[in-house]
Amino acid sequence: MAAEYGALLTPTSSARRFKANLVVVLAVVATAIALVPLASVFLFLITRAVGVLGIDFLLQDPPGDLSAAGGGIRNAIAGTLEMTTLATLIAAPLGILIAIFDTEVGGRLATGTRFFIDVMVALPSIVIGIFVYSLIVVAQGHFSGFAGSVALAAIMLPVIVVSTEEMLRLIPRPISEGARALGLSRWRTYASVFLPTAVSGIFTGLLLAVSRAIGETAPLLFTALGNNFFSTDMNEPMQGLPLLIYRNALNSAFPAARDRAMGAALVLVLIVLAFNLLGRWLVSRRKPGRSTGR
Amino acid sequence: MNEEVTMAIETPLRQVSPAPSDPVRSTEIDRAVVLRLRNVDAFYGTRQVVRDISLDITGNSITAIIGPSGSGKSTLLRCIDRMHEVIPHARATGLIEYLGTNLYDARVDPAAVRRSIGMVFQQPNPFPTMSIADNVAAPARFNGLIKGKNASADLVEQCLRRAALWDEVKDKLHQSGASLSGGQQQRLCIARALALAPKVLLMDEPCSALDPVATLQIEQLMTDLRASYTIVIVTHNMQQAARVSDRTAFLTMGDDGAGYLVEEGPTGRIFTQPHERLTEDYISGRFG
Amino acid sequence: MAVRISNKAGQGGPAAGPFARRHLLNGDIVFRLVVAASAALTIGLIGLMVFDSVQAAWPAFQTFGLGFVTGIRWSPSFTIYGALPFIYGTMLTSVIALLLAVPIAVLIALLVTEFLPPQIGRPVAIVVDLLAAVPSVVWGLWGLLVLVPFIRPIEHGIADGPGRLIPFLGPPTPGPSYFVAGVVVAVMIIPIVAALTREVFATTPRLQREAVLALGGTRWDVIRRVVLPIGRTGLLAAVLLGLGRAIGETIAVTMVIGNAPKIGGSIFSPGFTLASVIANEFNEATEPLHAESLVGLGVVLLVIAIVINGAGVAVRRRFERSAGRGR
Repeated sequence: MAAEYGALLTPTSSARRFKANLVVVLAVVATAIALVPLASVFLFLITRAVGVLGIDFLLQDPPGDLSAAGGGIRNAIAGTLEMTTLATLIAAPLGILIAIFDTEVGGRLATGTRFFIDVMVALPSIVIGIFVYSLIVVAQGHFSGFAGSVALAAIMLPVIVVSTEEMLRLIPRPISEGARALGLSRWRTYASVFLPTAVSGIFTGLLLAVSRAIGETAPLLFTALGNNFFSTDMNEPMQGLPLLIYRNALNSAFPAARDRAMGAALVLVLIVLAFNLLGRWLVSRRKPGRSTGR
Repeated sequence: MNEEVTMAIETPLRQVSPAPSDPVRSTEIDRAVVLRLRNVDAFYGTRQVVRDISLDITGNSITAIIGPSGSGKSTLLRCIDRMHEVIPHARATGLIEYLGTNLYDARVDPAAVRRSIGMVFQQPNPFPTMSIADNVAAPARFNGLIKGKNASADLVEQCLRRAALWDEVKDKLHQSGASLSGGQQQRLCIARALALAPKVLLMDEPCSALDPVATLQIEQLMTDLRASYTIVIVTHNMQQAARVSDRTAFLTMGDDGAGYLVEEGPTGRIFTQPHERLTEDYISGRFG
Repeated sequence: MAVRISNKAGQGGPAAGPFARRHLLNGDIVFRLVVAASAALTIGLIGLMVFDSVQAAWPAFQTFGLGFVTGIRWSPSFTIYGALPFIYGTMLTSVIALLLAVPIAVLIALLVTEFLPPQIGRPVAIVVDLLAAVPSVVWGLWGLLVLVPFIRPIEHGIADGPGRLIPFLGPPTPGPSYFVAGVVVAVMIIPIVAALTREVFATTPRLQREAVLALGGTRWDVIRRVVLPIGRTGLLAAVLLGLGRAIGETIAVTMVIGNAPKIGGSIFSPGFTLASVIANEFNEATEPLHAESLVGLGVVLLVIAIVINGAGVAVRRRFERSAGRGR
């Protein structure tokens, strides 16, 4: 009896306590280290780029010569908007249909498709750029906003498929059984029961896919190519915000180019953040208890 | 090979017996027996869960299927409206004859069967993205049974009245189906099933998830519906079976793990003078 | 109220009765066809793209044979193209990135799941995830204008110190280098590895956790004896997926790696990765064999990426299955 009490009263050895505390300290330090670049990037953009921003910056096109001062990034913002919209129009229906295929048809085919899509999620975006180049730019004989949109769609597609599938899988069994027991046809079940139930999750997945596509540069390098002028012609090369940043950054020896790159980078980050945070907020509204935000 | 179907949606309250409707099939149908089960087996993969069950379900009555857990009651019920096979690797064999047709014939469309035989589940499952009214009317609309706003509104009122829910929800028909209490949701599901004008209503432990008050309401509803529908209810609550049903079938799990039919008959007799020892043991609580 | 829908008696035979299948091409079959066709179309298109690319690169493979992958020289002016410097660069920057990112990411995951209460842990996790929201080109810009000047003295310090003895850590140090690229990529993959690792740790069965605590264990004991061992497979998946992302990172790397198409002798040398050289040279590759070789590099990168990401996905599937069983 005394021995047991003794064991209870023996405090944890100082060596073990030290190790336990050390790990906590290390974890805190590691997190701080990871957050330093984040803070640094924001500080960098805000301090050095804010001077560049202005109404003119947003509403004017850049000068033909990168090294010349003045002008703005209007064509890039417009181009990004246009290409991302077209990309969404391509990727969203396809992605949802593929997700339905995986959930509904199932079997070996679906497992294979799912694996394919999962690998595609992480494929280097420059490889996607080369693919679209080989297929579309070569066939058309010129660069175009359309090719850029297809490349962005290829980036967005796997994200949409994965999130839609997840949403469809979360539909409660009773709902699915209820629809079946009423003799509803499958397409009707999807159109009127499943998709409406999953719609908020699908929308969130779309938002996250869009926020990723907006920030991508590599897929646009050999597809949309870039353009110094404002354009709404999908058949012509088109400028995108990340492209503009990249090209100006490569010429950052010139102060004008450097400033332009930083201003554009701030605008880009703000746009991406807005989509990202909106998507997260919608997710948190759906699932109030989730502790690991993604 | 196209065959279109006459479906007469009559107002069952005005009816006393199931109406003969189709001149094409003039074969003799025993009016008293609506569902004929013969040698029904059910499997999950290679595991047999229902063995060789033969049973007659008479019309305009409530038949209760009772038995301990694992005796295949729910599985058997789901075989009737071809819901069992929806589970991957599940299948059923045998004969289930309804309206002169073997429901397991290869040419039969399972979805058509399910439109004709309604099912209510243990967990109330109204469609959460549809209003109360839509929950009732939409499946009927989707299946082509009614067209147009007026017909929908009439059907909604009719079915909600029949499910004893109309008075409670008539002012909030546009609210979501999920906004109701458990008992109300279950009545909504019953109304939804009735909207397809089935002649048979299958109920799989419909009161298990409900409180006693709601349970009594559902039981009262079942008794009222009996006049116009044939009801088969699976329940693990013997008192409920004794209260509500006209006939009772007792299933139990055999040594091989598959459920089989021990005994079936009028409820009064089953509960007071069962023929089988097993039945008597179960009724008196000696097992299960 | 009776609603009658017309009856057409057909020759279907009495057996099927009112439950006969209505049409051969009923809505459901069309639905399945449309859905399957979309999947097939998409996969077909992607397959076509791959095929086109391989075809475009074929002359390069033919000209150099296996030497394409093992060749050390990449010289457009002499039309000699070998991929090894870029494979080396990709591997080196990825290894540096993993060495830096994985320990940090694991520690972050531990902090969030083990040490912090959920109310604080959740916001911290979200903030770390914001690292992933910053576009690659912005990281590159930051890397070029902020990180390189910052690291240059550090690089000099190491090069002049231990670098004298270990050439690998020695000069030259012009600024942009494999090392800087590795650091930038590390920053970019930390959120990915951390997020996945967080999920892995969060699925540790409570039962095992509490068993250790009930025996008087410290939180570190719980981590060492339960969380880490059970999460081993998941951790591997997280690392693989981080690696997959690291090898594909293009734009940020291009901006800070110095763009030298050879195998640098030290980690502070400038260099190239497979992805970054393609980005850098593709638009100016006028000579056909140059362009074809660049596409060939893309094919090589694709193969590597498929292998690593495929392994990552497979390992993650295995982990998810075993986590499901463990409950």
